[in-house]
Amino acid sequence: MNCTHRTTPTVTFSLSSSHPNPKTLFRLFRTQIPAKNRQNPRLYLSVKKISFVIRASLHDSSNKNNNKVGDWVSRLPTGAFAADNVFRLISTATASPIYQFIASPSTFLHSVDPRIKLVWLLVLVVLPARSHIVMRVGLVLYTTLLSIWILPKRVWMDQLGRVFLLSGILFIMLGLGSDGVPSLVQSRTPPPAISGLPNLPVSLGGYSYSIMKLGPLQFTRKGLSVASTAACLTFTLFQSASLCLATTTPEQLAFALRWFMLPLTYIGVPVAEIVLTLLLSLRFINLVFDEVRNVALGIVSRRINWKQLTMLESIDIFASYIRQIFKNIFSHAEQISQAMIVRGFRGDSNTHKIYSLSDSSVGIADFVSLLCLVTIVGAALLSDRFLV
Amino acid sequence: MNLSSLVRPSTLALLPPLHSTLPSRIDVTENAAAIECSNLNYSITTRLHRSVPILKECSLSVPSGQLWMLLGPNGCGKSTLLKILAGLLKPTNGTVFVKRPKSYVFQNPDHQVVMPTVEADVAFGLGKLNLPRDEVKTRVSKALDAVGMSKYLQRPVQTLSGGQKQRVAIAGALAEACKVLLLDELTTFLDESDQLGVIKAVKSSLGNSGEVTALWVTHRLEELEYADGACYMENGKIVMHGDGASIMDFIKTQQSSYTNQINS
Repeated sequence: MNCTHRTTPTVTFSLSSSHPNPKTLFRLFRTQIPAKNRQNPRLYLSVKKISFVIRASLHDSSNKNNNKVGDWVSRLPTGAFAADNVFRLISTATASPIYQFIASPSTFLHSVDPRIKLVWLLVLVVLPARSHIVMRVGLVLYTTLLSIWILPKRVWMDQLGRVFLLSGILFIMLGLGSDGVPSLVQSRTPPPAISGLPNLPVSLGGYSYSIMKLGPLQFTRKGLSVASTAACLTFTLFQSASLCLATTTPEQLAFALRWFMLPLTYIGVPVAEIVLTLLLSLRFINLVFDEVRNVALGIVSRRINWKQLTMLESIDIFASYIRQIFKNIFSHAEQISQAMIVRGFRGDSNTHKIYSLSDSSVGIADFVSLLCLVTIVGAALLSDRFLV
Repeated sequence: MNLSSLVRPSTLALLPPLHSTLPSRIDVTENAAAIECSNLNYSITTRLHRSVPILKECSLSVPSGQLWMLLGPNGCGKSTLLKILAGLLKPTNGTVFVKRPKSYVFQNPDHQVVMPTVEADVAFGLGKLNLPRDEVKTRVSKALDAVGMSKYLQRPVQTLSGGQKQRVAIAGALAEACKVLLLDELTTFLDESDQLGVIKAVKSSLGNSGEVTALWVTHRLEELEYADGACYMENGKIVMHGDGASIMDFIKTQQSSYTNQINS
């Protein structure tokens, strides 16, 4: 697209019934000015005005080098293209949107008992929310280093990039948003001038509540606290879960969960059913995403001319897409239930044993892991007491 | 090869009457039947309360320790017959005998594999037997070894290819040490090398034990050379059973007659 502007002498006439648009501009040709007006120089000067005529064109052959920039109009998501793009996006999505177990290379974290990993997960959720900012940043650094050490390079680069981006956005938004905008509600506390009390003394140690100002927004200590808590919590939550899932099989996780839940069987909680349901869900979730992707791929491959469809017809295709997904998923569920029956499952999770064949003997990795856990919890407690 | 494109229902009128040739490698006196059904009928009732016959007077006998194949065009009732033999469907009438324990492997491995990780899935069928952990581990290891998947013990199932999933499904059946394997079009989704790998895995499991019997539903004629015997179905009936070579000849005759019919 090319925009040009040039200065052209024009005259603006007063609004009349024949020209309802007051912005209509007419080029001024001096020859068209009536002769009697020409003779009057004052009138001539009064009608002469300078205006801009702006012309815009989509295709500009003189500026071929800027085609990428100039073609932005065609990239605007119109109805037809939007529907096509949505299906294309779904059809190219991964079938494993959640993190999955990476069997090789086997690291020391693979050999850590899954129960210890679950305790670690709990600690990494609680600590960033409750400890000092130094401790929070330390936990983020610790999780980052552990990810770099444990995960394959392409995996940690991808994961850390995304999680850092998410945490960064959260940090900025909450840091500037939580306390940045002055409150609209007036404080009910009378100012010191009325109450006769002296103003609060300025901190001798250089303390300032406001850390930074960005135009109308300000970054305060409250903002820093809220933002760092939320960002660190998000980071540790995502990354520790990713590390745990990457180094633990779903069965190991389910069995660790069962171990912690076993006491609940005494109050009638169906622990065996919960564990089996969890395992089936972990298997089934990939089938669901496969179906979502495959049905979208089927629609894309039909090469539907979305431009010719009305809005209702497009909605109808989306509705049939959703219907087909559900139909296929229920068919899968039926077949899997038949397979379970054929393979000897009779509906009682307590009598049908689910085996986890991974070795679960306590080793050095477990001791080291527990030691690190105790150290970090201790450091968090000490940081609360000694760091202000 | 998809037989449905070559052998049409319209050719049924040209078929010879039901007959049987005894497979050359079978000694009937030594091998009792592991799978047997006679005069089996199965029909479904539509919403308009109309009875639609799916299987008509099917009779079949598979001797113990052999691999038999069941062929026929699409929709002729092969999978239905197999599901009845597996106990998933109840026949309308007729008699069925299948040695126990038996195992059924689905056409689509995604329907068969129920656990998220390979070793857990292979061990799933053993859950009913209440075996010691070491025994389970040995069985799983042997079964995966038999199908060439011993290196994939802890692999998540969704990261496997179609052929690998199919092998895991077969390993699950083998781990149960079943007497009878009912296999429904195992090689449909597989390429040539995976197809050969799966057939050899089944054959080796039969050869190792000597007591395992397998009934394999297939569309692929080239798989017949691995079979000890075969049946050919059409329109819900078993129209022929015998050794692999005779069934192959029979199908080729059908194909040529159908081709001649088109060309004339």
